[in-house]
Amino acid sequence: MGEDSRGQGVEDSGPVTGILESSNPGPLRLLRHYANAVWVENIKEWKLELTYPIDFLRGLIDPVVYLLPYVFYGIALVGGRSSANLQKLVGTTDIVSFITIGYVFIGFMNMALWAMGFSLRKEQMYGTLEAVFAAPVPRWVFTMGMSMHSILHQFLMIAVQLLFILAVFSLKVNPLGLLPAFGMIGLMLIALYGIGMIMASTTLIFKQGWLISEALGSLLMVITPIAYPLAVLPVFMQKAALAVPTTYGIMTARHFLMGEQMGFSVGTAFLRVAVLCVIWVVCGLVIFAAIDRSTRRSGTLSHY
Amino acid sequence: MSFAATAYVIRAEMAKTLRIYFSYPIIVVYWAIFPVLWVFPFLFQGKAMVGSNSSAAFQHLTGSGNYMAFILIGAMVSNFVFSGLWGVGNSLREETYWGTMEYIIASPTHPLVVLIGKTLAEASVTTCIVFLQATIISLLPFGISFTLAKVLPVLLLVVLLMVGFYGFAIAFAGFTLLIKEVHGWVHTLEWVFFLFSPIRYPVQVNPITSFVSVLIPLTWALVAIRGIILLNQRAVGLWKISGILVAMDAVLLLGGYFTFVALERKTRRDGTVGMH
Repeated sequence: MGEDSRGQGVEDSGPVTGILESSNPGPLRLLRHYANAVWVENIKEWKLELTYPIDFLRGLIDPVVYLLPYVFYGIALVGGRSSANLQKLVGTTDIVSFITIGYVFIGFMNMALWAMGFSLRKEQMYGTLEAVFAAPVPRWVFTMGMSMHSILHQFLMIAVQLLFILAVFSLKVNPLGLLPAFGMIGLMLIALYGIGMIMASTTLIFKQGWLISEALGSLLMVITPIAYPLAVLPVFMQKAALAVPTTYGIMTARHFLMGEQMGFSVGTAFLRVAVLCVIWVVCGLVIFAAIDRSTRRSGTLSHY
Repeated sequence: MSFAATAYVIRAEMAKTLRIYFSYPIIVVYWAIFPVLWVFPFLFQGKAMVGSNSSAAFQHLTGSGNYMAFILIGAMVSNFVFSGLWGVGNSLREETYWGTMEYIIASPTHPLVVLIGKTLAEASVTTCIVFLQATIISLLPFGISFTLAKVLPVLLLVVLLMVGFYGFAIAFAGFTLLIKEVHGWVHTLEWVFFLFSPIRYPVQVNPITSFVSVLIPLTWALVAIRGIILLNQRAVGLWKISGILVAMDAVLLLGGYFTFVALERKTRRDGTVGMH
């Protein structure tokens, strides 16, 4: 802890200073420096969020309110929580567990579309975008910090959602499936990070990019098998769904937790998501770098 | 201010709001297409759970097993409510963002008159969008047909629904003057409507939602509109529901007016109008 010009205590930015001083830092040191930046960004977002406690609490209740119309609609359709047609399609009858597990993944999709997509726009609103761009870390590190905060926040919201559903409806899931389901979620998050990078770059061009996030989110909501299996979608939508990481995340999680028949093996699902990780992350980083460079050259970074 | 001057301000505000609206044509296209797209997950969910276009359990609850028509009518009618919530409820907040809020407050016009102009502009755009959606949906095989005998009572119900709802939206606009950032609250309110009124599912399926829904005018309007369009119940209950909606309108309009006036006065006294 040191002191600034006004005599107030400031934390030492040890690794940052170290990296700046060293002209050729080793890969481990660089990684530590980036990890530190990701953590600091995550903490900053939590501090901002917890500054508005009522809004924070409202945000925790929202996912429950979002989920219930889907569950009640399902119950109204079949007159209970058991569907014979669902059994025929995927080998499971419990619509409440089916819909709840599927709906959990919307939060992760929102992370890519909104939290990461809007991370740079938010900094612009705060008037700190230029400071972020001048910081001695790449921009992907900054968005990773945003996504880290968002992932932790999503897990908190999912916990509230699941506690409510457990208390009111009781979920019928296999607890042994939790670990492999988390494995798939972890892999899926990497691919979503790539999509989030693309969304973040669009805000650099379009500034008010909410329309793109909203439109893409609406399309993904239709083709992702949240409250229904892939089989009920038209063929072109089924094919499009296979390029979306959340499709595999939802289906594999439901397979492990409640025995959904996927139409492909678990190994295939993991392999496809691994391929999607590479494709989306590479595309995300390349597109972001290109748009970032173009925005700087055209001098429109600070435009609103 | 004379009646003519007030009418002139309302017309000018309408023209301004419409001009801003049509400066971003892509947003108009978005609102025409996406509310219909949002119902597709529910249509696919129905197909997965039931396996056909009709559900016996749904028929037991609503009188019609055609869940697709149920969902589509809910989407169209709720368009009015949500555009009112965003377009009117959030409109003064937008003026703050544009830096024009102080001019409105300082002008010799009551902000409520400005809000009426915004409300009429919003209502006319939404009516055009819903008319377009209804035309397209009636051409597709969803089992929804519109005849003049059906459209006229439906229009009456929509007008009665919206008069009260705009009263609520005006009160909400006053609320935005007080607490400023209401984006999250509008979203939550949107989902409260989705949960406690039969937009996307028959609320009778749960005793709590069924009980709360009775207090929301949208519930009464949707039940009557679906009765007319899907069950051909032309006169049955129409006057009774119209009477209930008129009573709710009176409460919401008066409540909305007094809430807005009180909150606007408080914001002026506190000197927080220009704050963000």
